[in-house]
Amino acid sequence: MSSLIVFLVAFPLVVGGLLLGIRNSKLRNVIVVLAGLVVAGASIVTAVTFGNGDAVFFGLPNGLTLGRSLLVLEIAIAVFVVAVSIQHRRILAPVLVLGQVAVSVYLELSGKMPELEPGRLFWFDRLSMIMVLIIGIIGTLICIHSLGYMRDYHRSSPLIKGRRTVFFCLLFVFLGSMFGLVVSNYLPLMLIFWEVTTLCSFLLIGYTRTKETIGYAFDALNMNMLGGLGFSVAILMLAGQPDGLDLAKLTAGPATAALLPALALLCLAGLTKAAQMPFSRWLLGAMYAPSPTSALLHSSTMVKAGVFLLLRLSPAIAGSSLGTLVAFVGMLTFLFVSLVGVTEQNTKKVLAYSTIGSLGLIVGCAGLGSPELIWVGVMIIIFHALAKGLLFLVVGTIENRLYSKDMENFDTLLSRLPLVSALALTGIAGMFIAPFGVVVAKWTAIRAFLEIPGWQGAALLVIMAFGTSLTLFYWGKLLIKVLSMRSVSEYERSVEKRISRFEWLAEISLASGVIGVAAFLGVISEQVVGPYALATFKGTSQSFLHIEPVILATMIAALLFLPALALWASRHEGYNTADFYAAGRPVTSGGVMGMALGATQTVTLRNYYLDGVVNGKLVFRVGTIACGVLLVTLIAVGMVAR
Amino acid sequence: MNPIVFGVLFILIAPIFGGLLAGVDRIVSARMQSRVGPPLLQPFYDLGKLLQKEARQVNPIAEPLLLGHLGFMAATGAMLVGGTDLIFVAFVFALAALFLVLAAGSVNSPYSFAGAERELIVLLASEPFFILMLAAICKVTDASSYQGVLSSAVMVAPKLPGILLAFTFVATIKLRKSPFDISTSHHAHQELVSGLTSDMSGRLLAYVELAHWYESAILAALVVLFFNWSVPLGLLAFAVVYGLEVLVDNSTSRAKWQLVLRSTWVVTLLLVGGNVLALFLIK
Repeated sequence: MSSLIVFLVAFPLVVGGLLLGIRNSKLRNVIVVLAGLVVAGASIVTAVTFGNGDAVFFGLPNGLTLGRSLLVLEIAIAVFVVAVSIQHRRILAPVLVLGQVAVSVYLELSGKMPELEPGRLFWFDRLSMIMVLIIGIIGTLICIHSLGYMRDYHRSSPLIKGRRTVFFCLLFVFLGSMFGLVVSNYLPLMLIFWEVTTLCSFLLIGYTRTKETIGYAFDALNMNMLGGLGFSVAILMLAGQPDGLDLAKLTAGPATAALLPALALLCLAGLTKAAQMPFSRWLLGAMYAPSPTSALLHSSTMVKAGVFLLLRLSPAIAGSSLGTLVAFVGMLTFLFVSLVGVTEQNTKKVLAYSTIGSLGLIVGCAGLGSPELIWVGVMIIIFHALAKGLLFLVVGTIENRLYSKDMENFDTLLSRLPLVSALALTGIAGMFIAPFGVVVAKWTAIRAFLEIPGWQGAALLVIMAFGTSLTLFYWGKLLIKVLSMRSVSEYERSVEKRISRFEWLAEISLASGVIGVAAFLGVISEQVVGPYALATFKGTSQSFLHIEPVILATMIAALLFLPALALWASRHEGYNTADFYAAGRPVTSGGVMGMALGATQTVTLRNYYLDGVVNGKLVFRVGTIACGVLLVTLIAVGMVAR
Repeated sequence: MNPIVFGVLFILIAPIFGGLLAGVDRIVSARMQSRVGPPLLQPFYDLGKLLQKEARQVNPIAEPLLLGHLGFMAATGAMLVGGTDLIFVAFVFALAALFLVLAAGSVNSPYSFAGAERELIVLLASEPFFILMLAAICKVTDASSYQGVLSSAVMVAPKLPGILLAFTFVATIKLRKSPFDISTSHHAHQELVSGLTSDMSGRLLAYVELAHWYESAILAALVVLFFNWSVPLGLLAFAVVYGLEVLVDNSTSRAKWQLVLRSTWVVTLLLVGGNVLALFLIK
């Protein structure tokens, strides 16, 4: 087990270094595909080796120890951040990173760092297993997708200087550090991986090196570094506690009052990484990165590190006022970003709002903590990783074909890019239409909220009811655009043929994954997620694990309906049908209407964005302030509790 | 009796119930407008004729989507009375409504599209209500299924007066009555022509009509939940609510979508949210 984990972390790092030196794109394709297959294979082997057993702890193989390597790495990260910041004349990031280094150096020099139990460096349980599989399999598919995407990306934006060697290096370095993050038990070790993922995100957002993207990259860096600083200070506080730095022991049960301040800071770190309000802004800026980056870092995996940490902390914070505050930050974020989402026209940003909202739901579940809610949180992680990863990739593909991310330009997609539409529909259905996955999770969450006494239960229900309906609205708008038809020219039809094999492979695999996970929902629930939830919260009631056959059948039917319809329609020959009704005006099926005096007018249809009812910017600001106040309260509560 | 039997019975009986209700509606409306009105069974004759007529189809996907709408609407009702978890039913109900939106949107024409968008808005307006209503009913009765609520010793309506009141408000949307029929219109003179059904004809329109009858039956079944100690009383209450809707339909003009959205949300927040809050604080 131990050597497998070391391999999972080290192998992508080595491949990343190798890719930095490879400029030939054919050779790069081969290496990325092969290395990806090895990574995916290794993650599956790790999961199989682990079986379905209880949590295991282990250290480095052959009795190796970390020594001072963590400190060295941390200083290296700090030097890099300071150098980049000087280059771009930024002040906040270096201050934050130097603060972290100061904490670590102080701990090291003062000798307050407790003796580390060498056998408890890593912690592998069912949650780690799920995360390792997500990172290994989805991560690999996204890397393969990037091979096709980046080629077209640079073709369509010739002004951007190609730095594909760096891009692929970063993707693999990210995979390695993400593996490390989800198996760490020793908090200082986790912090290092945490910071490396932050750096990867920073560099990938700034990939195009325009003034705009560099600004967004620094937004992301600053906010995540703030979380990282919180993480460091938490380590400083926990270093004085017995077993304080051992995550598994720390979160074995409800925390004592002495631990709450440190836990509050760890929650802060989790909330920044999960882009919860007031830190949501960085994830929206991150949408300017190439689409595979959004798929991998900003929806499937890296932002999940934040909720992963919160799920880990859940047994310690649940039931305390700290837990309740965390839950409300998450749930209010879900409500506010869903409301902003209905006013957004940029598809990638809609996906970003939906991502932040889904993460908010998971944060809500982690803060409240019960077997049912932990089950919900993990289920959303799985479904979201697949469906949202797929959607980002599909939107990337569409963007490279239609040269637009604007939802309004996706209309009649079914006629123009039928197969891509089928994939997009699978993703959307996976996220929301089919009451599967996220919706089953929402339903279980509502059931759990009913059991929470007092005003909290009522407030959570109301938030859930409104938030869910809002997501229905923006997904509905996207669906209307994708699922509309008109007659298209031969040229328009040929566009789809130019999508690369890499992109098809990744997207079709992910779509199959969405359907496969839906089909095996019962098994996943009863064999993996359920036992994890019950073990974490020492629950016994298993009733929630069982999903009625009627419900399962409805879900699968709803999931498959639209993609199947799209595939059928794309092959349907008899599309020689009537023109639409236009109050007696002559029309052609291409959408041109005859007007008075022989003039013609092409029909343009634009979605409603609730102008005049919902002011997106204002809602975002209100949400940021409200959650900011909650966050300050949260940290204050933690400090006072001491 | 096995709850599944109720589900099957619903699928068979609901259209008859919905059709008769539409017939009564048309007679009562006519009398309000000093007309005689059509025979009671006219909706069935209309449906029969629609099914015989040639359907003028603008694209190949509208029909499957409408069949999806009809199928999921029937499934919602069957699951509701068939004992499936009530909160899950709320999600399927919204899904069924969404398919109608998609069918109208797929046509890519100005009238249909405007109707589809507005139907999406009324869905956004009404969906929080249905989720909260069913969650609150589950909360007071400690039950999760239709039969569970009916056999509960707790009387629902006295505990949920705010939600019942809000129901009469929100039902206007689902019954497509003025002032909330912003997505479609049964009145020929209005600017939206017939909104989301503009490009549906023949059997396609028949599916929409049939699905609407199911929808009416589902609403009736939902009202019965409030009067869980006496089903006849519940049906009577539905008749009263429906009578009010017809009266309102004939005495108001259509509202703008902004008003529909704002007013429904405010009603849901105040009446339903207040009621739910009281429920959680007292219990």
